[in-house]
Amino acid sequence: MNHEKRKQFITIVIFVAILAILIAVVWRTSGTTTFVRTALSGLTLGSLFFMVSAGLTLIFGLMHVLNFAHGSMFMLGAYIGWQFYTNPTFVFGIAPLIIAFATGLQFLTVIKPRLTQLNLSESLQNLLPRLAWVLVIILVVLAILNFDILGLANTAMVAVTTVTESNPLAELSPQEPLARFWLRPFFLLLGGFLAAVAVSKPGNKKEYVAAEHTTRNWLLIGGLIVATILLTVFREAWSEAILLMNGNLRFVLALFVATGFGLLCGMFIEVLLIRPLYTRSFFIVLMTLGISFVIKETIQFLWTPLAYKMVRPPLFAAPGKAETVADWLLNSNATLNIFGVTFPTYRLFIILLGFLMFIFITLLMTKTRLGMVIRAGVQDPEMVEALGINVRSVFTFVFALGIAMAALGGIGAAPFIPVQPLMGDQYQMQGFITVVIGGMGSYVGAFIGALTLGLARAFGDYYALKWSLSTAVAEASTVIIMVIVLLVKPSGLFGKKE
Amino acid sequence: MNENTKSENLLHVDDIHTYIGQFHILQGVTVEVPKNSITVLLGRNGAGKTTTLKSILGLTPPSQGKIIFKDMEIHGKRAFNIVNLGIGYVPEHRAIFRKLSVMENLKLAERKRGDLDKHADFIFELFPDLERLYKLPGNHLSGGQQQMLAVARALVPDNDLLLIDEPSEGLAPILIQQMMEAIRKLSQTTTVLLVEQNFIMASQLAKNFYIIDDGKTVTTGKMSELIHNEELIHEYLGASVRTVKQGDEA
Repeated sequence: MNHEKRKQFITIVIFVAILAILIAVVWRTSGTTTFVRTALSGLTLGSLFFMVSAGLTLIFGLMHVLNFAHGSMFMLGAYIGWQFYTNPTFVFGIAPLIIAFATGLQFLTVIKPRLTQLNLSESLQNLLPRLAWVLVIILVVLAILNFDILGLANTAMVAVTTVTESNPLAELSPQEPLARFWLRPFFLLLGGFLAAVAVSKPGNKKEYVAAEHTTRNWLLIGGLIVATILLTVFREAWSEAILLMNGNLRFVLALFVATGFGLLCGMFIEVLLIRPLYTRSFFIVLMTLGISFVIKETIQFLWTPLAYKMVRPPLFAAPGKAETVADWLLNSNATLNIFGVTFPTYRLFIILLGFLMFIFITLLMTKTRLGMVIRAGVQDPEMVEALGINVRSVFTFVFALGIAMAALGGIGAAPFIPVQPLMGDQYQMQGFITVVIGGMGSYVGAFIGALTLGLARAFGDYYALKWSLSTAVAEASTVIIMVIVLLVKPSGLFGKKE
Repeated sequence: MNENTKSENLLHVDDIHTYIGQFHILQGVTVEVPKNSITVLLGRNGAGKTTTLKSILGLTPPSQGKIIFKDMEIHGKRAFNIVNLGIGYVPEHRAIFRKLSVMENLKLAERKRGDLDKHADFIFELFPDLERLYKLPGNHLSGGQQQMLAVARALVPDNDLLLIDEPSEGLAPILIQQMMEAIRKLSQTTTVLLVEQNFIMASQLAKNFYIIDDGKTVTTGKMSELIHNEELIHEYLGASVRTVKQGDEA
């Protein structure tokens, strides 16, 4: 055991030494200015890689699921955040529908303990869930019938091109009138409720669930219903209020909205699509691939395959160069002077975001009970269950958390790279390479791997340009690193031996 | 009569059948565990003793048969629900969490906040080593210490029943003694269902025995009677007889 630890330590030392020598050589040959600029670019890329690979590695470590929909989730986060930031009409148009369905599903927690205790005949037990599912489908179809979702998306596009500083609301076209719209969330609420009935298997006494936290669950449901009503009634008012807000605050909100959306999405996907397939891992790969196609096509349908440019938030937008950080925060400059290098401030924000996320994961994994459960579950989920912990719900949470981090990465990247349906693919690819380099399931490995890849990419680009080579060299560099790491240490830098 | 057994027996396992994949592992296992005593499951390797424990816990749910714990039907429930009714599990092969410290391993077993504080004194009295090793990660522990941690983990919450799978496996004789003492002590307050290959340990601890062979319970009775029944021992516990002889020599 100790021997293994030492071996791992030595590998890391060697790795760091090689890295240090490389950095020193590069520094010497390129000069300080170029070095700092390239290194910062590399860190920016590395941060983005980390935001994608953190979720990938956690999900793989705990559930052994290779999530090929991760890049699409990154892209989805970018779109949702961008929409919220530039024109919230779309987000507020669909939010009541999503929240309504989720509210309906939330009834599961309070009705399941009762429904399972009902005395029902066997045929009724079989019939009821099926009947409920049919009704769910009918209700969902009724709810989205004639819903002009394309119109909402288009509205947003018009507004993007015409919004002016003075009057951002000039081009906001109205939402569907409430008198007609209110039925949609209502139907979806009912649909969600019936889905909960179907899922909870009425009359099946084997599916016993203790009625726990009843007051808390009812409060949650009550809160969600109020939220649904508020979102339904004040759709336009919310959009206006958001648009009139300070741009920086709006951007922070956009980060939260994208993350929250990712969390919800991840939960839905895990519970409905992944959970039934845990025993057949190959089908999970196909499933996640399928999900990624569906998401990409949906986005193309809504916003066409064109690429959009998200405006940077005001804090990073004012022209001119700041000399110090204080200067920048005061004047909101677009660039900052770092060791004589003029560097875009927004990229610094991305680096900060990546590091903050790493700190967050580290704290979560080492300081909380949940982190303890996850670390234990990576080794032996069955034993964790045998200690009385609901491992399934831990799986759901980790999946949702991973997706949420990808979505946050997406909106973080949106002002920096073009927003388009395939924007996540490249990051997913690099994310997988990162996870392989760092060792499957290790978030520390993912962090170090991501930064290494980012730096390799940036310096590869620099040398390709300098020696007039093809940029393919830079792209290949990450794969070359992966090959070398795999040859030296097949389980990755921080990976455990199988 | 029937009511009487209900109150006396903490756990009834009634003719359960369990499949693992396509293999019909348990083909009718019936076990009664009386309150406040140690019951032992004996049998050859691969007879289905571990699967019986896992079926009770819901880790390998039985497809047929009944399991009643504290007068509640528990078969078909999810494992974590079953465990939370008050069952502690000590798996074979010392399945402790190697990356987690001793403290974290114990903390993880808490069902309510404060469980560990409540029982810490009792646990450290049984296994003084653990207090010294509190901060070390699990993979720095020796085999015996890991086994102690695995047992200690089951003592953290309030449990009415402990399922202990091969606690003496791979332990040095002196540690076996310590483990036996510990199990005897904790059986004063809790009911224990034990799986044990070491016949000496089993015979000294248990009050009742069940012999499982080829996935079926073959016979049952008082331990005191089994010790003298060499024929039965020879027929079903072939491997264990050698242990008896080795024990005698030692």
